[in-house]
Amino acid sequence: MDAFFALAHGLTVAIQPMNLLFALIGVLLGTAVGVLPGIGPALTVALLLPITFKLDPGGSIIMFAGIYYGGMYGGSTTAILINTPGESASMATALEGNKMAKAGRGGPALATSAIGSFVAGTIATLGLAFLAPTLVELAVKFGPEDYFALMCVAFVTVSATFGDSPVRGLTSLFIGLALGLVGIDKLTGQSRMTFGVPELLDGVEVTTLAVGLFAVGEALYVASRRHIQEEVLEPVRGSLWMTKEDWKRSWKPWIRGTLFGFPIGALPAGGAEIPTFLSYSTEKRLTKYPEEFGHGAIEGVAGPEAANNASAAGTLVPLLALGLPTSATAAMMLAGFQQYGLNPGPLLFAERPELVWGLIASLFIANAMLLVLNLPLVGLWVRLLAIPQPWLYAGILVFATMGTIAAKPSVVELTMLGVFGVMGFLMRRFDYPIAPVVVGLILGPIAESQLRRALSISLGDPLVLVQSPISATLLAIALIALVLPFALKGMSRFKAEED
Amino acid sequence: MKLTGKGLWRGALTAAALGLATSAMAQAELKIMAPAAPGGGWDQTARSMQQALTQAGLAKSVQVTNVPGAGGSIGIAQLVNSSKGDGNQLMVMGYVMVGALLTNKSPVTLDQTTPIARLTGEYEAIVVPTDSPIKTAKDLAAAVKADPAKVTWAGGSAGGVDHIAVALFAKAAGADPTKINYIPFSGGGESLAAILGGKVTAGISGYGEFESQIKAGKLRLIGLTTPASKNTAEMPSLKANGVDLEIANWRAVVAPPGITADQKKALTEVVDKLAKSKEWAEILKQKGWDDAYLSGDAFAKFLADDQTRTKEVLTSVGLVKP
Amino acid sequence: MTTRTPKRVDVAGLVIAAGLLILAGLIWRDMTSLQLSSVYGVGPKAMPIVVAIGLAILAIGNAFMAVRGGLPSRESLRWMPITLIIGGLAGLIALIQFGGGFIPATAVLFVATSAAFGRRAFLVDLIIGLVAGLVIYLLFSKLLTLSLPMGPLERLI
Repeated sequence: MDAFFALAHGLTVAIQPMNLLFALIGVLLGTAVGVLPGIGPALTVALLLPITFKLDPGGSIIMFAGIYYGGMYGGSTTAILINTPGESASMATALEGNKMAKAGRGGPALATSAIGSFVAGTIATLGLAFLAPTLVELAVKFGPEDYFALMCVAFVTVSATFGDSPVRGLTSLFIGLALGLVGIDKLTGQSRMTFGVPELLDGVEVTTLAVGLFAVGEALYVASRRHIQEEVLEPVRGSLWMTKEDWKRSWKPWIRGTLFGFPIGALPAGGAEIPTFLSYSTEKRLTKYPEEFGHGAIEGVAGPEAANNASAAGTLVPLLALGLPTSATAAMMLAGFQQYGLNPGPLLFAERPELVWGLIASLFIANAMLLVLNLPLVGLWVRLLAIPQPWLYAGILVFATMGTIAAKPSVVELTMLGVFGVMGFLMRRFDYPIAPVVVGLILGPIAESQLRRALSISLGDPLVLVQSPISATLLAIALIALVLPFALKGMSRFKAEED
Repeated sequence: MKLTGKGLWRGALTAAALGLATSAMAQAELKIMAPAAPGGGWDQTARSMQQALTQAGLAKSVQVTNVPGAGGSIGIAQLVNSSKGDGNQLMVMGYVMVGALLTNKSPVTLDQTTPIARLTGEYEAIVVPTDSPIKTAKDLAAAVKADPAKVTWAGGSAGGVDHIAVALFAKAAGADPTKINYIPFSGGGESLAAILGGKVTAGISGYGEFESQIKAGKLRLIGLTTPASKNTAEMPSLKANGVDLEIANWRAVVAPPGITADQKKALTEVVDKLAKSKEWAEILKQKGWDDAYLSGDAFAKFLADDQTRTKEVLTSVGLVKP
Repeated sequence: MTTRTPKRVDVAGLVIAAGLLILAGLIWRDMTSLQLSSVYGVGPKAMPIVVAIGLAILAIGNAFMAVRGGLPSRESLRWMPITLIIGGLAGLIALIQFGGGFIPATAVLFVATSAAFGRRAFLVDLIIGLVAGLVIYLLFSKLLTLSLPMGPLERLI
């Protein structure tokens, strides 16, 4: 009950006009910058840190919260409209979202993503307010072996993005894993697959790969077959808003996405990408319209978007409860706290409750502001698709390169963008699925280093993987998820024979 | 985004460590390169310098550029190759770069740059979970000596300052530094979680990263890599408690090669005025940062010495082939 | 990798398989050059070995598909638009590398892509590209204080 009073008090802090203004500036900046590929919310907070030096602590931290949530919204808008994920966590959104946009259903896609983000953000922020202490106890219990098991679950579910041929799907995945090898090996500090190019030492940037494969690859593909099939984009076909049917198909994925996103986001090494993949594959398994997946299924937008936003709130759990920054943005927010001599962690709740609860309350407000700001914009955003095709694609390419140039102004990075673009073109032409490449690049290095950490701690004893109850449970889930589809297939055949 | 948490927030601390200088003759147009991505540690340092220098009127304009990649190897290569003789160019760097240049086998070395000044420093802290049987630095040293494999360490990237400090700890404890069981984590949050969760024996990082956990009684401070003279009951120095280990993670600025003595003097004066302002001292206090200002020949000697020692340690751990 | 019109044995498919095999070989060779191993547990060579073997097996799988004609049929394609877009990207990279600056580089990419999609109004597109580049430049360098590649044009601002 104490939490309720504290939250109510926090709300009185957050609705002070000045704080509302900071929240508004935050969400506007966050959305604007989140739209740019390569420039995420972390960078925005970093760049704004010196400017906010003179603001009072409450106000500037509230503004950072707005930027954080706003950035998450912005990334999905470009993913849906122009197939350019602003950040790696928006990749799953692009898969179905862009297909919807091309079919004239960009309005419902943006709406389900905005409302889903709102629902997820609100539930997850409630979770942050009431469950943070309990959740963080659990999160800290996760060891390297448990993370490895979690990656195994994620790997099994990747097959949802494979399309119809397992050989081609696995080929894509292994190309991603190969790209994941590039760079300095985290555990020994040696370089792998860098061929003497110093720029490769930091590895392949996920956004560069995703933007190259998705946006540049798509532009090349569409241009190369313009003489066969003129791509006609209709910004709005049917309803601009979500129909009753859309609502019915969206609300469960929103909830499920939140349930993936929030706890995994709260894990110190959980991240935002894995819950979006898990949500995507779950929706694909559970949907009543499996034939729509790959051609613009609304469940495939609603779920991952909710998961993405819920994980953003989840990240704040270890930050506020323990002072653990588990994402780049959270790290910048920690720096923001420390700028005022505040140390997030067990003591902050006791020492400065008005600040913590003011922040949590302003997260609710930022979330509501984003919904109010974004829904009316949906109509405007989809009009973007009415731009004549040459300008639209030229704009997309300018947009795609701009993010890369701003984040890492190196010729090597731009060349990689081009190479990945050609790769995306060839993969489309020969019908290889694209998403598994990005998934492999994200999951491969995490799985490898967590396994090696676990085995280093156990001095090489592989039993450590099944001795931890968390890890054993997760591995069992992975095994079931792997075997179940085959078993079900066998059963139905058996049943068919019986009939 | 690949900005790791640890680099970022450590960096932001340094950023704030550089405050405003008051007034002086405005130098021409300064350029400061951060050999890291925007938002990273060195970037924050550079941007804070920019802010302070312009506000204090120490420079007419300051431009910050980012040349990210490979622990600064790419930035320093550009400084040495393209900015030669440019008396208005500075580059932020730190101890991490010393190790990174060695492990990445960089063709360019710090000897080719013109050292200007060291700005800030932070000591390393070794911690254990509160329920650990290890109570003192001597206990930990004894455990490492008995079996280095059984003592697992959580810290930052391989070959970084944390790793080097652990190797030096093993050496001081009389164990084989190549046998240490050091587990690098990618972000400060991740390694802190592993220590709090009892997944490892001990953790090592900058003191600031552990401070609030130590004060909250979740972690026990075993010792700091401070000189013996700074030893107190609350902030025990390893050196005063039987483990001969002293190391600091510092940040500094250097200039390109081939600048004239006058240019070097002018740059040093600007940085000198910046570092001695009372605003800076205030921010240092607020952040709990140690002022490590050192300029001129003393800094040049320090830089050379630290490079030699780092090379020795990295070779003894096997990260650099002799 | 090149593409040709499909025959009974899909040559392009075989080229893909060969490409995968080469990639596997590259990873293997790079792996053998690693000097350090982890003191405890699994070393840095394990993952490259897994990936290389996996790619080699997949190369066989892909070759098998190519021989049996398992690849989807493909329509003819035009090289002109592809060349234009890649040329635009190359132009952008070259301009940035040799100090042409961000704004003209952006304009070149814009014009090239627009032409690839069939527009022939070079001058109009060039102006649009330059304006777009200028707006982005101002936004990034003035508002976000990020340094973008400078050229003669940018220095005037």
